Amino acid sequence: MRTLRWGLLVPLFLWAFASIAAEMGYVLRTTDLKAKPFLDADTIAKLPEKTQVEVVTRQGPWMQVKVKDNDKDRVGFVRMLQVRLNVTGNALAGASTGSTATTVATAVTRPASSSPTVTTGVRGFDEVGLKNAKPAPAEFDKMAGFAVSAEQAQQYARNGQLAPRSVPYYSEDGKPLKDVK
Amino acid sequence: MRAKLVLTSIALISAAVVAGCQGGKGLQVGNIDVGALTQNISGLKPITEPEEIQMGKGMTETLLGASPLTDDAQLQIYVNNVGRWVAQQSERPNLPWHFAVNDSDAINAVAAPGGDVIVTKGMLRVLRNESELAGVLGHEVAHVVRKHQLTAIQKGAFMGLLTQTVQVTSSGRQSEQLVNALIGPTKELYLRGLDKSDEYEADRMGVVIAARAGYDAWGLPNSIQTLGTIKPDDNAVALLFKTHPTPASRLEKLSVAMGTSFDVYASGQQNTERYQHAIQGIRVAAQK
Repeated sequence: MRTLRWGLLVPLFLWAFASIAAEMGYVLRTTDLKAKPFLDADTIAKLPEKTQVEVVTRQGPWMQVKVKDNDKDRVGFVRMLQVRLNVTGNALAGASTGSTATTVATAVTRPASSSPTVTTGVRGFDEVGLKNAKPAPAEFDKMAGFAVSAEQAQQYARNGQLAPRSVPYYSEDGKPLKDVK
Repeated sequence: MRAKLVLTSIALISAAVVAGCQGGKGLQVGNIDVGALTQNISGLKPITEPEEIQMGKGMTETLLGASPLTDDAQLQIYVNNVGRWVAQQSERPNLPWHFAVNDSDAINAVAAPGGDVIVTKGMLRVLRNESELAGVLGHEVAHVVRKHQLTAIQKGAFMGLLTQTVQVTSSGRQSEQLVNALIGPTKELYLRGLDKSDEYEADRMGVVIAARAGYDAWGLPNSIQTLGTIKPDDNAVALLFKTHPTPASRLEKLSVAMGTSFDVYASGQQNTERYQHAIQGIRVAAQK
């Protein structure tokens, strides 16, 4: 039994790794490829508009990317807001955990025979679902039952090394607004 | 003991406004002071916070009617912990904030007046980490802080009902009348969406609120960037794309607003592990 389980799991793991496709994108306009994630870091190369990049990691305003330069790869940092990811046509491609199509996923996780929502469509929260919605007061009460206090949330934040900071709001053109919290 | 709080009848008032009642002062319909109600709905006299919360509850009940909560208590509590912490950094920390994950595979998140925020299971699946979730929730919190949905309802564009006085008992249990009066306007609002300018503002504020909470401020931009990878004709994003500006224009606007001023907040947390652990129960079977 145990052997059989592992026999099933190993190929599944392999499949999972193989399915984590690299995230690809391109730079919107001519962009500096920096050696480090700082504005004043050395510029490794100037990437022309539409240069294809492979996402390696994300770090605040920076995206570490791999760029093909003839036969070798160059790795450096570009501003993440200068990058657009390629349209993959797959609603789950952006997730770091896999790339199964949503429709397939739905079939896997919710067999039609046991799904209470199958008659109104599998997505529920869409145009049809919203048009046909009837108020669900019991669901509201359920939601209210999961609410946490400010103190609980603060403790949870501490556990996650989250320290509050004072940050002003910004105008459309990037000017700090006065009503700073 | 059943002291009643008369909640503004949005319908009645807007009808009065539309009908061109001259400010309505002194006008009485039965024993209802239409003048006072007109002032409320036309924005001269703002809807009180308790009224806003009751309205939000009615709207949220309809939203949850489209898709109920996903059956994962740990996940619901997790999203409430993150959401509440994010909301604490806003200008309205003391609202009765509720966060819910519904059972929909669509990719979306919505907010209702008074502090109710719903995020779909499908949205959680495409986010990478807690900073992206915090950004998305920060965007929704901003809608509530700026009363975008409340104002849209108040503007009277959604009023189909003419004479209905909505009463709410002091115990907080709202009348069926209120819920019923709000069903139509709620559906219309969430099918049509807010003004684009409201969405751009919620993006700018969401980034700031998440940064205040100690998160990597680029969580929201990263999540929007991900939305841009999905084909617009994919059903999973149909409603989201119909009700929001395109991901490309949202990113363009954020790029201008954030510039390099936010680089000083680059040290925020992403909390990827905690996030991935929290959503493991809703990953599709093949992903587990």
